[in-house]
Amino acid sequence: MSVVAPESAPETVAPRPTARRRVSPIWPALSIPAIVWQLLFFLLPIYVVLSLAFGDLDPIFRTSIPIWNPLEWKFGQVQFVIDNVFGGFYMDPLIRTFVFVGIATMLCLVIAFPVAYYTARYAGKRRGILLFLLLAPFWISYMMRMLAWVNLLQNDGLVNSIITLGGLLGPVDWLSGRPFTVIGGLTYGYVPYMILPLYASLDRIAPNLLEAARDLGASKFDVFRRVILPMSIPGIAAGSLLVTLPMLGDYFTNDMLSGSPQTSMLGNLINTSISTPGGAGKAAVLILLLLLLLVGPMIWYVRTTSKSEGLRT
Amino acid sequence: MSERSQASNPFSRRDFLARSAMTAAAIPSLGALLAACARDSGGSATPSASATGLQLASPENPVKWPIAADNAPIAAGLKPEQGATLRLYNYPDYIDPAALKSFEKKYESSYVKVEVSTFNDTNESLAKIRGGSVPFDVYFPSYDQLGKLVAGGLVQPLSQSYISNIDNVWDEFKNPFYDQGWQFTVPYVVYTTGIGWRTDKIKEDIGALANPYDALWDTKYTGRTLVLDDYREVQAMTLLRSGNFNLNESDPAVMAKVLEELLKMSQTVRPKVAITNYSDLPEGRVDLVQAWSGDMVLAQSYMPEGEDPSVLRYWFPKDGKGAIDNDTMVILRGAKNPVLAHLFLNHMLDYDTAFANFAFTGYQPPQKKITPESLVAEKFLPPGLAAATVLPSSFTKGSRKLELAPDVEAIWQANWQQFKAGG
Repeated sequence: MSVVAPESAPETVAPRPTARRRVSPIWPALSIPAIVWQLLFFLLPIYVVLSLAFGDLDPIFRTSIPIWNPLEWKFGQVQFVIDNVFGGFYMDPLIRTFVFVGIATMLCLVIAFPVAYYTARYAGKRRGILLFLLLAPFWISYMMRMLAWVNLLQNDGLVNSIITLGGLLGPVDWLSGRPFTVIGGLTYGYVPYMILPLYASLDRIAPNLLEAARDLGASKFDVFRRVILPMSIPGIAAGSLLVTLPMLGDYFTNDMLSGSPQTSMLGNLINTSISTPGGAGKAAVLILLLLLLLVGPMIWYVRTTSKSEGLRT
Repeated sequence: MSERSQASNPFSRRDFLARSAMTAAAIPSLGALLAACARDSGGSATPSASATGLQLASPENPVKWPIAADNAPIAAGLKPEQGATLRLYNYPDYIDPAALKSFEKKYESSYVKVEVSTFNDTNESLAKIRGGSVPFDVYFPSYDQLGKLVAGGLVQPLSQSYISNIDNVWDEFKNPFYDQGWQFTVPYVVYTTGIGWRTDKIKEDIGALANPYDALWDTKYTGRTLVLDDYREVQAMTLLRSGNFNLNESDPAVMAKVLEELLKMSQTVRPKVAITNYSDLPEGRVDLVQAWSGDMVLAQSYMPEGEDPSVLRYWFPKDGKGAIDNDTMVILRGAKNPVLAHLFLNHMLDYDTAFANFAFTGYQPPQKKITPESLVAEKFLPPGLAAATVLPSSFTKGSRKLELAPDVEAIWQANWQQFKAGG
């Protein structure tokens, strides 16, 4: 019942425009802010990045200068990056980025699913307070949380003094360029972004569907596999996208928890390029590369969600 | 003095650039020229001019910059601007707020306010200065940017009569190789690059090793080291380790070897690459660091309560043959308050201000009155850090990281990108 209600609402509004023969210019005009927004904050920056990527170097200052006219674009920097992505020194950090982000996303999902499921189905009255607690980490800046981990994971930090039984065993070098620390940091940092969409989609599954499945003889596992899981796919897709996109460009977690080139990711490459004199152009190419990488998951997301929308209507 | 040099200088800035461009056109291949230079002098020479019209200053090749006719120094004896805001452009935490306060107090009658804007790297700062959107008055560049600043017409010549405190600093700064006749710069701080460690965590006396630089490649210290996040410094150290004192190496074969060593270090010792050693070392996150002398002076104040700063050590070659540098203060051409800017430079060269600034930033001003003995005696430094003071003598023996010709710079940067990518 309650699921259907909101969808009937727009229909009562729909007939109105047809009542007036002439379409008022007000309605299209309402889209102007959105168009201006897109132009100013999406297309223009992308054009600047493109102009830098296909730009040149100032002969005196060695700073990158954008070339605004696409007809005069130079391909040197793009060529450099492409050459080094395939078989060159950008290869390792790129593969590393995919591996780290892939593992961290899976970990996020494994951690977030039970939490979201519990909150959606069993938390009852405590649901509000649980959601509040899940959101609480956002009240502390990401940097502060990472700094806290640096303290906890230090050689003489709390984590080491617990797992080494107060120093009986040798300490674990968490912060010295360890992939597992970086993956852990990414997971910790982004897991709330996974929980919330999952919660939203799990919360929408009508309990009577699960009861029906049980009545029809499905085992608990079957209910999960054939009802809950398929119905939560939009949530999984949204959550995975929300954590994957920022992780792919993340450089800060790495800087804080490792700082060693041995765990460099794509975000670190961009950061290094930008802070090298004359490297902004290469950074722009890397940013475009990142953008290309992000298009894949985004198309997947749009397709998954539109398909499930279609199912529901 | 400066007026005369200006009159005798036949070039305007535009002429200078145009002629350089013609020279460039006449030279078939800069690469060949560089290679020739490198071969002639065993790799120690830096070409005096490059295809871009940029003069590269070096101790062997001191430069007196031309002063453009339309860029004359301000007249002597002018009154400070009234009710002005003096805008400084500096690295973060690189100037003592008390020094700004005392300047405001000194010129109270002119209602001066001082405002500091900060940048993180010279890429950012040069872009902003060139953009000219904010009229900064005083900028704090390292000397290797001066060629660019002069060629780009971004700095104004000093009117030296305002800056009588120049007598407080080492005499060589009245005629530094990068700015003969101190036409554009006064010195800000001097520093060396060496190695810092803690005696409570590292049993070995790093400074007593046959080659102390080897420690940063020693797998005994895997996961406990840090090297500076600076493409010149780490590669310079790699060169010094191999006994090469030319920190502006242009030979691709030598630089390829440097890259090999860097990758070996990265893969086996996994150093942290950052500029936070002044807090990472005292707070125990790393035990052995490549360090600027100023950061080790500053590290004492980051020692957690109850821990003894005397465990900190700093090593710089005793014979003075290590990496050494200085930063400068310049007045930008777009300065809105040139008189106050001159007075501010003079203020920062005052001994008391300079010393207080030293205490705050950890970076030593080249004041004649400061010696390692006086600093230890006044308990400003624990004995283990006496080596972190910079001596005028090591300043003459040390190796400088000079401005590089563009194609050499490209090699250094490519190496660095590769190192940071973590292959």
